[in-house]
Amino acid sequence: MSTLVLDSVSRWFGNVVAVNDVSLTIAPGVTGLLGPNGAGKTTLMAMMTGFLAPSAGTVTLDGEPVWRHTEAYRRIGLVPERELSFGYLTGRQFVRANADLHRLPDAAAATERILGVVDMVEPAARRLDTYSKGMRQRIKIAAALVHDPAVLLLDEPFNGVDPRQRMHLMDLLHRLGDEGRTVLFSSHILEEVERLARHIEVVVSGRHAASGDFGAIRRLMTDRPVQYAVTSSDDRALAALLIAQASVRAVRLRPDGGLDVEVDDLGSFAVGLPQWARTAGLSLYDLSPSDESLESVFAYLVAR
Amino acid sequence: MAEQRAGVIHDLGYRHYDGPREGVATIARTLYVTGLRHAFGLGRSGKSKILPFLLLALCTLPAAIVVGVVTIVGLSELPLTYAGYTNQVQLLISLFAAAQAPVLFSRDLRHRSIVLYLARPLPAYVIALTRWASLATALLVFSVLPLLVLYTGGLLAGLDVGEQTTDLLKALALLLLVASMLAGITGFISSVSLRRGFAVVGSIVALVVVPGVVTAVQAITSEEDADQVGVVAGLASPWSLTNGLASAWEAGVTVFTPPAGGWVVVYLAVAVLVAAAGLAAIVARFLKVGSQ
Amino acid sequence: MINVTITKLAAQALLGRRRFWLLLAFPVLLVALTVTITALTDGDAAWPLLPGLGYPVVLPLVAVLAASSVLGPEVDDGSIVYLLSKPISRHAVALSKWVVAWAATMVAGALPLYVSALVAGGGDRASAAGLAAVVAGTTYSALFLAVSAITRHAVIVSLLFVLIWEGLLGNLLTGVAWLSVAQWGLRIGHEVSTELPDPTNVPWAALASLVVTVGGVWFCGDRLRSFSLRGED
Repeated sequence: MSTLVLDSVSRWFGNVVAVNDVSLTIAPGVTGLLGPNGAGKTTLMAMMTGFLAPSAGTVTLDGEPVWRHTEAYRRIGLVPERELSFGYLTGRQFVRANADLHRLPDAAAATERILGVVDMVEPAARRLDTYSKGMRQRIKIAAALVHDPAVLLLDEPFNGVDPRQRMHLMDLLHRLGDEGRTVLFSSHILEEVERLARHIEVVVSGRHAASGDFGAIRRLMTDRPVQYAVTSSDDRALAALLIAQASVRAVRLRPDGGLDVEVDDLGSFAVGLPQWARTAGLSLYDLSPSDESLESVFAYLVAR
Repeated sequence: MAEQRAGVIHDLGYRHYDGPREGVATIARTLYVTGLRHAFGLGRSGKSKILPFLLLALCTLPAAIVVGVVTIVGLSELPLTYAGYTNQVQLLISLFAAAQAPVLFSRDLRHRSIVLYLARPLPAYVIALTRWASLATALLVFSVLPLLVLYTGGLLAGLDVGEQTTDLLKALALLLLVASMLAGITGFISSVSLRRGFAVVGSIVALVVVPGVVTAVQAITSEEDADQVGVVAGLASPWSLTNGLASAWEAGVTVFTPPAGGWVVVYLAVAVLVAAAGLAAIVARFLKVGSQ
Repeated sequence: MINVTITKLAAQALLGRRRFWLLLAFPVLLVALTVTITALTDGDAAWPLLPGLGYPVVLPLVAVLAASSVLGPEVDDGSIVYLLSKPISRHAVALSKWVVAWAATMVAGALPLYVSALVAGGGDRASAAGLAAVVAGTTYSALFLAVSAITRHAVIVSLLFVLIWEGLLGNLLTGVAWLSVAQWGLRIGHEVSTELPDPTNVPWAALASLVVTVGGVWFCGDRLRSFSLRGED
């Protein structure tokens, strides 16, 4: 069981701040590092894996700094986003080379074991440059796991992987987390993180925007003013009706028909709307949220 | 799930443009000027300006010194001719070509950004020609600049105008050939070997090692009284072609085995052929990549 | 200190690609030329090829190519993280890579130079040239490895050093010999045969070669210790 701790970590490149005063603790289990593209996830991952020095603050694994400390790699398995350029090796040779680099006592057995874990025994005799994206991702994970590390760090592991392979990878990461390993993966796709991680860390624009249980954060994210687009049989009458309700903050007529409604208390609005409409004799044709994108969720978290 | 939805393109307020548009010529010219600037690192990062300008300074500085000496000592003629000067700095010109050709030829192909150019109305062969023209012009600028320093300085110091101009024109004609050949050779090597380092080494082999071998062979054949062999060997590299022509035109360059008579014509023809072949190879390469 | 796996991978990367043929072209060219000229002429007409071409151009070019091949591409595309994310001292990584670059320089640079020297005349002179090539090749490979660890433009920077500093300026200014890898090698070769030039003194040549070799590999390791992953620049 290992814990990775970031304490007031900042990193700037010239006068661009990529990571701004981030403190977080990655404990055993699966953690998702969530953030839109360009939020500083890769910079954070690089610092966690000892491939970038923090400009300020410290990154420690079980109390020891990671930067310029090659011994730490005994406990870390790293799956970089970078593609493999060892296309001339077979999958088995590649994993075996990683095992040898760790000076494992029985490198051959460790290689076969881990090929079994990622379900790559059968294609292991083929050259890497013949692999599909998902296979390459799995062989990279095998290479990272061959020395049985307590910590596994994956940078955007699902990028470009087809849905079936993605399920497969997720199952694998789940298992690893349940075994008590510290598994951290980065992603910019909410749905991926939701499927895999109970604990998430959210970074936006280099800042630590949210942290904790996925469900709790999801609720925090949804308990915010939400925009809806509504069309009905009489928009003006409906607007007058809605603005009288405590759960509604603003109503605006759209030039092409319909209403934009900003709702404070989603719960009572959702329950109340059909009743209000029926009492006033109005028909609702369409009701749809107009700002459900991840970016707007992130934007909301940052603005808070 | 399979509910039918009508698609809509949102009007974001962009206005459609249907005024007059520039043609292929303008696009090609813009690409040419950009390429020429990039060859000297202009319009690129500060770091990429260091090398071209360092080489340019190394190449031009001796010319300035020569002018200074001529003025102060009061010589009645330059200590070396224009073509002789080019001969002295041929290593620098070769290095410039080898180092900057990948800038123009490797990057687009390696990062596949070439498809962005091909998405414009410019055909692949025009892009290839433009790239080649940029590099050739850059080489010409690079090699002519020190000669202009010499020429201007020499005239200001009161040297004979007619003599200097004839000499300069000979050198310019040679440099035109050099620039075309070098741009063709390094451009082709860089468009095939997309890793910058290997493109550079390949170009150095063609522009430094092979001419070195030729010179060695010529020295030996001249000593062994087999000049004819040396003359033929001179056809094998761009610099030995140039220097052979320079010596035949009495432009102030001596070679071990100077071509004479019909061989001068052969040298000239081969030089033009090398330039044309390089250009054709580049065009072929771009057409192949463009059709992928 | 030397890690066999890294050495093996570096050797595979060097041998398994097109660049191997480029590397091989040099010795073939050099030896073929010497043999041809020696066969067609009398005496040692081919000898000037060595001080004129083989030693000052072919040997350093082979070293540049070998040194930048074992490190450059992996640093360029970031796949070196697979080697560096291991509990292996980065100095050991540098040393293991240098061994491969050094071996390639010896086999494709120094050895053919010695063979050419034997063909072109032989005797003490050939042994001296061979020794000079071994010394200079060793120093070059370490120096260029260090350059590869500093800049993405390692090849051109190394070539500038060889062609401009050692070649162009070295011919004009005799003082450059004190800071020239090629001249150090020649000075040590001079101990075997006085037909080689005598540019500096032996203690300096030996010490400088040693310092640059050890320092170059150590410096490369030090740069790898601070290796940072970042996007394209």
